[in-house]
This record gives sequence, structure tokens and C-alpha cells, in this order.
Amino acid sequence: MKGVDTVINPLLLQFGGSAVAVALMVGIAAWARISRPVAPLDPTTARTLLAIDYPDLVPDVVWISADTRGAIARAGKDALVLYRLGDSWVTRHMPWDKALKAPIRSGHIRLKLADPSAPMARLAVSGINPWPPEGLKEPQG
Amino acid sequence: MTLDPIHPAFSVVTLAIPLFVVTIILEIVLGRFGKAKATYEFRDTATSLMMGLGSNIVGALIGGFAAATAIYVYIHYHLLEIPMTAWWAWVAVFFLEDMTYYWFHRFSHERRFWWAAHVNHHSSQHYNLATALRQTWTGEVAGTWLLWLPLTLIGFPPAMLAIQKGISLVYQYWIHTEAIRKLPRWFEAFFNTPSHHRVHHARNPRYLDANYAGILIIWDRMFGTFVAENEAEPPRYGIVKNLGDFNVLRVAFHEWMGIAKDLAGSRSIREVFGYLFGPPGWSPDGSRDTSHTLKAKWLAREAAQTAVKPTEPETVPLVAE
Repeated sequence: MKGVDTVINPLLLQFGGSAVAVALMVGIAAWARISRPVAPLDPTTARTLLAIDYPDLVPDVVWISADTRGAIARAGKDALVLYRLGDSWVTRHMPWDKALKAPIRSGHIRLKLADPSAPMARLAVSGINPWPPEGLKEPQG
Repeated sequence: MTLDPIHPAFSVVTLAIPLFVVTIILEIVLGRFGKAKATYEFRDTATSLMMGLGSNIVGALIGGFAAATAIYVYIHYHLLEIPMTAWWAWVAVFFLEDMTYYWFHRFSHERRFWWAAHVNHHSSQHYNLATALRQTWTGEVAGTWLLWLPLTLIGFPPAMLAIQKGISLVYQYWIHTEAIRKLPRWFEAFFNTPSHHRVHHARNPRYLDANYAGILIIWDRMFGTFVAENEAEPPRYGIVKNLGDFNVLRVAFHEWMGIAKDLAGSRSIREVFGYLFGPPGWSPDGSRDTSHTLKAKWLAREAAQTAVKPTEPETVPLVAE
């Protein structure tokens, strides 16, 4: 057992020390507040951000979530979904018809994105900013 | 002097851990006081560092298999006697290990099976020293360590290779920063630098699948994968489809889950092979984008924009009548 201890103990010490160091570095990163500045989303910004990932698709309508942290844009039969993650953005696309039928729970549209790397987008919705927007409730023909 | 050819006398990476901690704190503090370009989002930082810690733990748990295989091959099959005390042996291992790293890294980007193990390192939308520690949990399982076995077979002792691999990993740590813009031209010409590696971490079509170097950038120049950082187009970091949250399990396993999902829907051996070993983004009907198609579309857009760019109107002098 002594042989095992000479291997295990230094490893445990190293991992324990590393865990403390991780906590310290994350704490300092939180204290520093040096994330990228992110302005509330508006239709123009949403179009600009979506154009980076979908340069060949031009949205005709852009809906902004109630908390301005997400958007859904219609481009033909596609719904382009944009949402904020920390100080960055995530985009995905899905069929527009499916986006229209997405359920609303606890004040959030729940969009199933069918992608293991981003399975779900939750966008805030309110009475003054309903989903789907007026005039866009019907699926595209 | 003799050195144990089997067990490395020290672990370069373990020795460097205090350096990692101090320099990350330094980069954050310099960024905080506007003395260096650095952005940190604390949840992103936590994810990167948890991936680094997890990678160490996974390495301790299952890394023994790769090491045992290398030792077995060395003891039973090595072709040449290469002494660890010879200077030329260290020069040779420096270049050969670095070229091996280049090909390992290139495979890790261009073939999905190995991309699944490597993608986590690129999944942060930030580029800072913490990102450097966003290391794989599944590299051992993906078997990329096999690429180093020929060096063992030639006769480079496993301990020597372990030390050189550690030196390479530590070298690549400091280049994960936006704080250093450009280094002297001679250095940029031969060595991997923050500028070259920013290109490697960028998701702009212009920069995809470029600059695979470990220590020396000469391999990219030799094998046609070098792309210089363009001041007019700053890198956007991350992956083509950025991750939807900061969950470390998703960071570690999302591409493997994607492969499993695709394999479950496969209808032929060709599809199975394509999903496993095709380039990331491969699909039977070509409906998804690979780096190649993204670059081609970008080039087509660039060409179209150039074609429609209005030419300067000819200046016609106004003549008073």
C-alpha cells in the first residue's frame, strides 16, 4: 500500500491544489469585469450578428425577445435563432414552421434546436412583445 | 550521466502549473487596468479551467495505456539506440516531435473522429491564457497518441518524448493571448506566435483550417496551411456552430454525441465512414457545411463583391458655355 500511496497522495495533492487555483482564477476573472461590452439587442444588431453566420440568408422579419438577449428572424422557410451566452452570441437555424409552434413556458419560448451542441434556446416573451408576432402566425406556404 | 529512458525525470507540464496560475492572474489584472488587451468572461474562464483540471484527472486515470504501449514498443522493438544524453538526439526529437504534432493537429481538425476529441479546445469564444488550458478529455480514447509511436519505434526513449511533448505543450500555452500583437519578423517567420495561433482559433472562413503548428510555424509554410493574420479582419473566436451553454460535459462530449446521432441515422457503410472520418460537417447529401465549403462560399462572395464594386467615375471637366 505504501507504493500506491506514493503515487496517489501527490496526485491528490496536485488535483486539490489545482482546484483551489481554479477557484482563485475564476474569482479574479469575476472581480475584474473585463468581459466584452454587450449592448441590448435591436433588429439592426440582430441582422448584423446573423449575417456573420448566415451571410447568404436575408431575414425579412426580426423579432426581439422581451429581455433583448435573443432574436428570431424569418428568412424564407428558415427561422434564424440568435441568443446571448455570457458576453457572446450563439446562432442556429430551424424550420420557421417549427419555431411558430414552439411552446411558451414560464415566460420563455422553448425552441428545440436538434443539435447536441446547443439543444435548446429559451427566449423571453412578454405581453407587449408576443410570440409569434402579429401577422406572422401562419406557416409559410 | 545517465537518464532513465522509460520514466521521465520530471513532468514539464506539472512544473509549469504555477506559471499558468501566475500568468493567467497577471493577464486578467493587466486587462483590468487597461495595460493589455484581454477579455475574460468568468463562466467561460471557469469552463476552460474545469476542462484543464478534468483533462489532468482523465490523463491520470486512463493515460497509462498509451504510456504502457509506448514503453512496450520501445523495450521490444526499437530500431536504433538513441542516448538521452546526446545533444543531437534532443535536436532530432525537437524537430521530429514538432512535425508529428503538426500532423496530429491537422488530422484533429480535418477528420471528424479526431475533431470530436479536439473541438473542446476551440469551443471558447474568448482567446486568452485560460483558453489554452481548455484541454481534451477524450484524446486518449481517440487514439491520436498512436501518431507518436513511430518515433518510439525508431528508438527515441519514451521519457525523452514525454519531456519534448511537455515542452511543446508549455510553449503553446503562452501564445493563447491577445495581449501580444506581433513579434519580430524573424520570430514570426520560424515560430508559432500569438498572431499565428489567433488565426488558428478563428472561425472566420478566411482563417479556417490553418496554422496547425506546435512550436515551429515552418510546417504550415511547408505543407500549405499557413495563413497570416489580416489586420483588416480581426479573428472571431470559437467554432463554426458555437456551443449553447457553458456545461463542461457538453464541451467535452458534444461532437461525440453528434457523431452518435448521425451514425444512428446512417443508411450505408459509406455514410458511416463519412460521418466518422469525413471532414467535420460532412453529410451524405452535402447539405451541411465543411470548412472547405465555407471557404468556397466566402471566396465566391468576395469575388462577387469585387465584381460589383463601382469604379471611380471619370472626371469630366465642366466647361462653362
